[in-house]
Amino acid sequence: MHPSRLITIATLALVMGTVACKKPAPAPTGPTQAELDAAKNAADQEAARKAAAEEAARKAAAEEAARKAAAEEAARKAAAEAQAAAFKAAADKALVNIHFDYDKSDIKESDRAILQGIADFMKAYPSAQIEIQGNCDERGTNEYNLALGNRRASAALAYLKTLGVDEARFSTISFGKEKPLCTEAKESCWSQNRRDEFHLK
Amino acid sequence: MTRALVRILFCAIAATALSLSAQQTEVVLSATSGSKLVMAVAPPKLAGVDEATATQEFTGVLQTDLDETGVFGLLKDKLPTATDPSSYKAWKEAGAQWLLVTKLTRAATGELQLEATAIDTGAEKAVFTKPYKADRLVPMRRLAHALADDLVFQLTGVRGVASSRIVFVRQLHPGVKEIFQVDRDGASLLQLTRNASLTLSPSVASDGRLAFVTYKGGAPEIWGQRVKGGAQVKLYAAPGGGMVSSPAWSPDGKRIAFVQGDRRGNTDIMVLDLATGHARRLTDGSGINTEPSWNPDGTQLAFTSDREGGPQVYLMQSDGSNLRRLTNEGTYNASPAWSPNGAMVAYVSRFEGKFDLFIYKLGEGKSYQITTGVNTSESPAWSPDERQLVFTSNRFGSMQLFTTDLSGRQVVRLSGLSNCQSPVWTRAR
Repeated sequence: MHPSRLITIATLALVMGTVACKKPAPAPTGPTQAELDAAKNAADQEAARKAAAEEAARKAAAEEAARKAAAEEAARKAAAEAQAAAFKAAADKALVNIHFDYDKSDIKESDRAILQGIADFMKAYPSAQIEIQGNCDERGTNEYNLALGNRRASAALAYLKTLGVDEARFSTISFGKEKPLCTEAKESCWSQNRRDEFHLK
Repeated sequence: MTRALVRILFCAIAATALSLSAQQTEVVLSATSGSKLVMAVAPPKLAGVDEATATQEFTGVLQTDLDETGVFGLLKDKLPTATDPSSYKAWKEAGAQWLLVTKLTRAATGELQLEATAIDTGAEKAVFTKPYKADRLVPMRRLAHALADDLVFQLTGVRGVASSRIVFVRQLHPGVKEIFQVDRDGASLLQLTRNASLTLSPSVASDGRLAFVTYKGGAPEIWGQRVKGGAQVKLYAAPGGGMVSSPAWSPDGKRIAFVQGDRRGNTDIMVLDLATGHARRLTDGSGINTEPSWNPDGTQLAFTSDREGGPQVYLMQSDGSNLRRLTNEGTYNASPAWSPNGAMVAYVSRFEGKFDLFIYKLGEGKSYQITTGVNTSESPAWSPDERQLVFTSNRFGSMQLFTTDLSGRQVVRLSGLSNCQSPVWTRAR
């Protein structure tokens, strides 16, 4: 508490003690009750003004900080979105189906560029993980084709490994002839179905 | 069916413990002018059942069942009306060797009773009499199936398959396949799985437990019933989410043969011991090995392998030893199915881009072609009585379920359902 305040209170107590003794009122020598109240009000108002000013300053600082954070967040988000869009664009460009001859799982010469593109993508995005899905045409038994699809997925995996990508970043799955892209019984359809698909995990 | 083929059939049966009745059967058939026993079904006597229902749900069902047994020929025209003993001569003159007399009674409680008697019209005496009962919830057609199966047993010594069921895979939407069950005559379709994903390769244990492969968790896993009538639970998943396929219950129901793929492109036959959860590899990790099928005593497995080039059918002991090649003709032989009595292996062979069904007779060391056609016939599975095969064919467009006798002459479309695959035939469900 401020010392001047203490003096005021002490003075007040003295006056009140005097009054309590019910002695004849002496001629006023100290501050009157009104003067005391005014002093108190003034002190209180000063404190309130100060508190309000501090509060306003605090508020302004908080608003400024929030504005700054929002701007930073927006920038971060925009950067992340741009990054995700670039990742997606790169993935869409790289993750193209490769195809196989009937009952075969050899990587075709014409598909090597696609696999190189997938390897480059994996190197550019070291956290990317891919599922290789092996598929077959409708000819042959369901179960044999599931095995053949596994072999086709493994063939792509082996090739990607030779291109220097960690094989732990790939999983393989076979859908055999259970998920055809095209369902007509002709070679132009079958050749589309004999494929590996590459999907981000 | 020619007499020669009937003889082959009964020779196969004679190799079993049922040889006595099989020999008796051969005498019956040899004594007849045709290869089938001619039976007449008298209209049933009815009490508490209306005629239209009885005709549709009982007589019609029974006649179809008997027609498709391959051992009965049905006499349908110019039938006598009386069925008392004095009429037997008239039935015989009409051509009936057996006369089937039935009475259907619906009690006030809803319980259904059937009394059936088969009379040999030549000897003028009953050769078969049996009462049947069914509570009100059992469809009338079930009684017809049970009677047909008993009549076949009476004639051949092996129960018929009218009461049996086919379990198969059907595509509901692209990428969604589920397992269904249907009565042998195409009635009572029932969906057995609801995985909303690829669900494939059903196998039914001798006590009716189901096993299958489902992709519902992403990677394929083997699911099925550990206990009869129990919930479908995960039975096996490959380490690291690798490929699994083709589960097949062992005849004792304690093991499941299946296929597991590795990341080098090989697929091997494995056997899972359900009690321990331990899976053992039987083939050697080179090339494709798939489609395991147990012999009836569980000591051997037939399977498909491309270890020598294209797919061929091989046999081995159930510990992986004594490997030998079964099929030699053709460049693509697959889908082996060992017959219930062990003497035959059905399989498919590709010729000019389509498949046909074949049977390899182990005793003879020879193959016989069953189906011929411009369309494909795939996925053979044996009937429990070893007289027929169920298979899929696109002869009417989409892949549908068909049955054939072993001569290939009595091909019947089992149902009009499209997009069907991988049927198995069972008495147990």
